[in-house]
Amino acid sequence: MVLDDLGSSLRGTLSTLQGKSRLDEDDVEEVVKEIQRSLLQADVDVSLVMDLSDSIETRALEEEPPGGTSARDHVLKIVYEELVDLIGESTELPLEPQTILLAGLQGSGKTTSAAKMAWWFSKKGLRPAVIQTDTFRPGAYDQAEQMADRAEVEFYGDPDSDDPVEIAREGLEATADADVHIVDTAGRHALEDDLIAEIEEIDSVVDPDRSLLVLDAAIGQGAKEQASQFDDSIGIDGVVITKLDGTAKGGGALTAVNETDSSIAFLGTGETVQDIERFEPDGFISRLLGMGDLKQLSERVERAMAETGEEDDDWDPQDIMEGSFTLKDMQKQMEAMNNMGPLDQVMDMIPGMGGGLMDQLPDDAMDVTQDRMRTFDVAMDSMTDEELENPRSIGQERVERIARGAGVDEESIRELLEQHRMMERTIKQFQGMGDGDMQRMMKKLQQGDGGGGMGGMGGMGPFG
Amino acid sequence: MFDGLKDKLDSFRSDVEESAEAAESEADPDDDAAAATEASSDDGADPETTADADGTPSDPDDADTDSPGRLQRAKAFATGKVVLEEEDLEDPLWNLEMALLESDVEMGVAEAILAEIRSNLVGETKSQMASTGDLVEDALRDALLEVISVGQFDFDERIAQAEKPVTIVFTGVNGVGKTTTIAKLARYLEARGYSAVLANGDTYRAGANEQIREHAEALDTRLIAHEQGGDPAAVVYDGVEYAEANDVDVVLGDTAGRLHTSSDLMAQLEKIDRVVGPDLTLFVDEAVAGQDAVERAQQFDEAAEIDGAVLTKADADSQGGAAISVAYVTGKPVLFLGTGQGYDDIERFDPESLVDDLLGA
Repeated sequence: MVLDDLGSSLRGTLSTLQGKSRLDEDDVEEVVKEIQRSLLQADVDVSLVMDLSDSIETRALEEEPPGGTSARDHVLKIVYEELVDLIGESTELPLEPQTILLAGLQGSGKTTSAAKMAWWFSKKGLRPAVIQTDTFRPGAYDQAEQMADRAEVEFYGDPDSDDPVEIAREGLEATADADVHIVDTAGRHALEDDLIAEIEEIDSVVDPDRSLLVLDAAIGQGAKEQASQFDDSIGIDGVVITKLDGTAKGGGALTAVNETDSSIAFLGTGETVQDIERFEPDGFISRLLGMGDLKQLSERVERAMAETGEEDDDWDPQDIMEGSFTLKDMQKQMEAMNNMGPLDQVMDMIPGMGGGLMDQLPDDAMDVTQDRMRTFDVAMDSMTDEELENPRSIGQERVERIARGAGVDEESIRELLEQHRMMERTIKQFQGMGDGDMQRMMKKLQQGDGGGGMGGMGGMGPFG
Repeated sequence: MFDGLKDKLDSFRSDVEESAEAAESEADPDDDAAAATEASSDDGADPETTADADGTPSDPDDADTDSPGRLQRAKAFATGKVVLEEEDLEDPLWNLEMALLESDVEMGVAEAILAEIRSNLVGETKSQMASTGDLVEDALRDALLEVISVGQFDFDERIAQAEKPVTIVFTGVNGVGKTTTIAKLARYLEARGYSAVLANGDTYRAGANEQIREHAEALDTRLIAHEQGGDPAAVVYDGVEYAEANDVDVVLGDTAGRLHTSSDLMAQLEKIDRVVGPDLTLFVDEAVAGQDAVERAQQFDEAAEIDGAVLTKADADSQGGAAISVAYVTGKPVLFLGTGQGYDDIERFDPESLVDDLLGA
């Protein structure tokens, strides 16, 4: 999301400062320009960008770097401090009975977010209910009902009523048993006076503990105006950023957070009810620092391994540790990798892999790798069980047959076999290694010694 | 829409004017001296005067290669003209870039506009009588038109000419307003004497069928829909067959919102495009979208080539830069603006009048 690019462009600019102990004005100016560019490209409000970069510039020129700190680290530290200051903590959401009101523009994803948040609360052991008050948009009632159904949470709405305030009141009564009430509202924008008046009325009836503004990650400079209007009318306590699985950076959310003096509560990252994350500033910032985000990574690995394992009972990752690494294992690992999400996202979470190292790879490296993995997957689908279990049995004739069957060229099959051999070798090296050796392994991987290309990465699965 | 940009463009004009005038008045006395020196002797001017003439009008360390040559300047002086120099423009251009970014014009596109203006203005000689403002206005108009007015075509004319039924498929990310736009266009076409059938290719999103059904009922339009989870290409195809069998003029095919990063869903879109072979594919995005508008417009154009774009939510006090960005990167025109939640809240988009409006002409 926002600042992903800032991370890499900053590192690029800062590397020109390498070795300098003092910064002159030109250096600072260049760094500041780079920061401005990245923030603007992430849709952060222009005046906010200027404020931020001004204070970074002033501090970089005026503050003495502490003894022993290079100029580069000094600037880095200032940049991060300013950003942390802006982003702040995640919106506080105590796990207790509460009422949450959602507001936002048409199509920003309120209804989907309502169901996702309800799902999230239900996983935390609370009993949530979604109350749908959108009487305007056709199909809104049905959408909310179906989403609540998918999230397996209580739902209240009234398709025949056209009074949102009334529905909100009745909904709260009807779902009095629930712990958490999430009140969804019709989409509206800041200039629709009658609709703003309406949400103020809903606000006074519902009396929410928290009002969250739902913002599309792609929103541009308009975020400022919208956020301040909603803040004026109902008071915004937190921001939910949706559609972060696209390429939008969500800088509008930073603007909104700044404008409403609130914080980020949730991130929406997909269309199913599980695609929701609490915003974790620590992980976010350490990823930015190029330090990786091990917590996110291990969560993803666990989830991916669980998903992968579910479908196939006779596959046991433990076998790998005991020394037999077959093509089946490799296929499983590739599947697990896919389940973790886009490769570049995953890479970014691995300490030492994200940030600096990623910047050195060509832009399409990840695409190429993913394409290759797809080709391999197709090829393996054309192999017999025996071939998967015992890749050594595949001779030239079989290579030809597999290539024909899978519709890939023979060269790819040979590459696949070669890759498997390398991974097998790598894994043998790691066998019997204790946890303390993890770092050595990391180092090995970093030096590109892990079996070439993604071979080493493929081996990451069971170890993550 | 575009109000912010309009103000900023105004100030860009006066900025350039001011800094050009400042440079002018600064330059005048020196140029006199220089001219005097040049007149008195060909090459033997005393060192002091020469240095003076060289240095003062522009920055002392300014390289002669990227500013108008001394000769050109001398010529301009002789003919009573002044040459606009890069440094006269630097500050105003920076301000203009910020103005474009504030209006949500994508950074790459903003840079293209600036480059266009710079190359149009720098080295431009202007008569001292003509105002810098006019020059700047022309350059701005050219640059903006160049960017926004791409392959504009008359939508009504296109529908009138095309063999019936005309199939139009709508694409775009989630929540931009595809279905609402389809309902509005059904009304728009009906008002122009065309019958329409809606085909709900969104077989994925919860409530999608119900949403479009309510629109169809309100508009008294026929709807083709399948069960949720069905094949979207098949639904739209059925819509076309229905239109052929029943002499309906236009098929409006909806698709599920999808993010351009989802390769499966983008592949599905390619399939719809291949199976249905629509006469027009319209990309729908919201006018409030920021920098990302460019990325997704490109990706959608690649998956199923678009013929034009519709920008929705233009009434939400949007900055409107998305219109400029989308048109620029796809080379396809913006055809309509969605301006509210009523069925009649749709407007034709006209780049010329937009630019006129922006420049206050």
